[in-house]
Amino acid sequence: MKRRYAYFAGCSAKGTCRELDLSTASVSNLFDIELIPLENAGCTGAREFRTISEELHLTANGRIIAMAEALGHDLVVVCDTCLLNLVETNHRLRNDAAARELVNRTLAQENLEFKGTIDVKHFLWVLTDDLGEAGLRAKIVRPLNGLRVAPFYGCHIQRPLSTLGKAKGNGKPALDNLCEILGAEVVQYAGADKCCGFHVVTTAETVALQMSASHLDNAAAQSAHCVVTPCPLCHTVLDGYQPDMKRRQPSDLPILHVSQLVGIAVGLTSQDLALSRHVIDCADLMTHVVDRAQATAINR
Amino acid sequence: MNHSSKPTTESDKIRVRIYRYDPATDQEPRYDSFEVPYRPLMRILDVLDYVHETLQVDVGYRWLCTSKKCGTCGVNVNGSPALACWDEALPEMVIEPLNNMTVVRDLVTSRDDYEKKLAQISPLLIRKEPYRSFPEPITEHDFAPTMHLRDCIQCLACQSVCPVVAQTDSGFAGPAVLVALSELAQDPRDAGARAQIADEVAKVFKCVSCYECERVCPSEIPIVGEAIEPLKRLAYQQGRGIGSARARAFLDVVKQQGHVNGALVALRTKGITFDTIRLAARFIRRRKIDLPDILGMLFRRRSKQASAIRRAYQSSEAKQ
Repeated sequence: MKRRYAYFAGCSAKGTCRELDLSTASVSNLFDIELIPLENAGCTGAREFRTISEELHLTANGRIIAMAEALGHDLVVVCDTCLLNLVETNHRLRNDAAARELVNRTLAQENLEFKGTIDVKHFLWVLTDDLGEAGLRAKIVRPLNGLRVAPFYGCHIQRPLSTLGKAKGNGKPALDNLCEILGAEVVQYAGADKCCGFHVVTTAETVALQMSASHLDNAAAQSAHCVVTPCPLCHTVLDGYQPDMKRRQPSDLPILHVSQLVGIAVGLTSQDLALSRHVIDCADLMTHVVDRAQATAINR
Repeated sequence: MNHSSKPTTESDKIRVRIYRYDPATDQEPRYDSFEVPYRPLMRILDVLDYVHETLQVDVGYRWLCTSKKCGTCGVNVNGSPALACWDEALPEMVIEPLNNMTVVRDLVTSRDDYEKKLAQISPLLIRKEPYRSFPEPITEHDFAPTMHLRDCIQCLACQSVCPVVAQTDSGFAGPAVLVALSELAQDPRDAGARAQIADEVAKVFKCVSCYECERVCPSEIPIVGEAIEPLKRLAYQQGRGIGSARARAFLDVVKQQGHVNGALVALRTKGITFDTIRLAARFIRRRKIDLPDILGMLFRRRSKQASAIRRAYQSSEAKQ
């Protein structure tokens, strides 16, 4: 059965993290998930629209949700900050009639209406909750045995609890759960649920880089081979700015998107996952996994 | 906090390890372990009292009201902030002082840094008009935006988990100070230069929006949404601070192109600097940005597609 969702890629996945969009498409195809892209959907505003005005924040996000409602599918995103903006707006507009009316008056110009009929999900939750462990396992051809993966959740998929507490995936923390299903060893380290500093990286770079450097140091100290994150903004800091960080352990740590980690385990190629579009090289990591999988296969 | 099974009978023991450190005499901190008989409805403070009074250990800890009002008894329990007088004792506890402040002795931390930062924001009402008489008329409508902020008991749990406060050279005032500032900034009676103070003194735009402060607030104050963002909004309305410039650039780019282009926002916020060139060069080399994107970014005119977005965003902007 084909699963269908409305899909809002967000600015990062269409811009400086295009590998996220490409690898999400590759992985979705393989799992028979259809992601229907929203055309001309604008922006969730990151942290900026909220700074400008609450109405702008609600309108921009309500508009995206209304577009997904028009398609009649739940809305899937691949960015933590998009997720928080949309989940928060969905909740607010469902429960605040005055705000809903205000937003709908603007949306009516485009024949759109926020009705509150769909849910907003992260692609990670589609994999762990909708597809589930059995669905994932069915496609694994290259279990990530021996690969030490440090999960890095990002703030806006976990906090604030008042908004995201209910939206969280079932049971175990979703990313830990996913890594285990794929056969990887989950690295326990201080930093998995901490902040990367992205939202100040252009305005207060040292603040952000000091934070992220310490997370990477902690992951490296626990012998992580790589970090995996569901958020392209975290990815941008952890990967894109990694050469600028003052690290205690200056060894490079590859940073993978969730879709890339899954993609490796289900046998997709470096090209399918656009692994070459990273600042920190992932070639050795891929070789490591492939060699190990081949060795295991031969031993069988 | 660890929510393993609770002790159920009075013969059960609570096993507690307490951080001990006296900077005047100790080379380094140590942990002392105790067993405390469990009583129903026992609080963390009851455990500390037992260690102090019954076991006669001179552990340093602070409390005053014992009813979640004074905010002086904050400690870390199993790595997360708790109010000793309010939160229940757990079967296994490691009790430590709050982070991001200097230890006076054992569990007592210094409030000096917070109080110094608080003094710098002019933490009193600077009145537009002289105080007339009691009772002062203030409407529910005027009061509403700051209602939750008034629940702050200054326990400093939020300061203790803030990753930017942890960087002492950041100059960031921290969530507790911003709650106090925001309460004044949103008070219609106040005439203080709050936007300027928020940007230049409290460095509000250094907030990373991680929501750690909200996670630990015992008064459940929506600190980011109701204290920090209104301050940023006020600064934006007066065009103050680099955060305002970034927000303006961000909105302009979305309206122009229909979506955000991070590189362009950075360029418009900071201009062409050594750092932006170095980063752009790296991103182009590693194909994080494609060259056509750069050219499109620099030369593309207003996207026709984006006209619907411009219209949709217009009405909320008009009300600025």
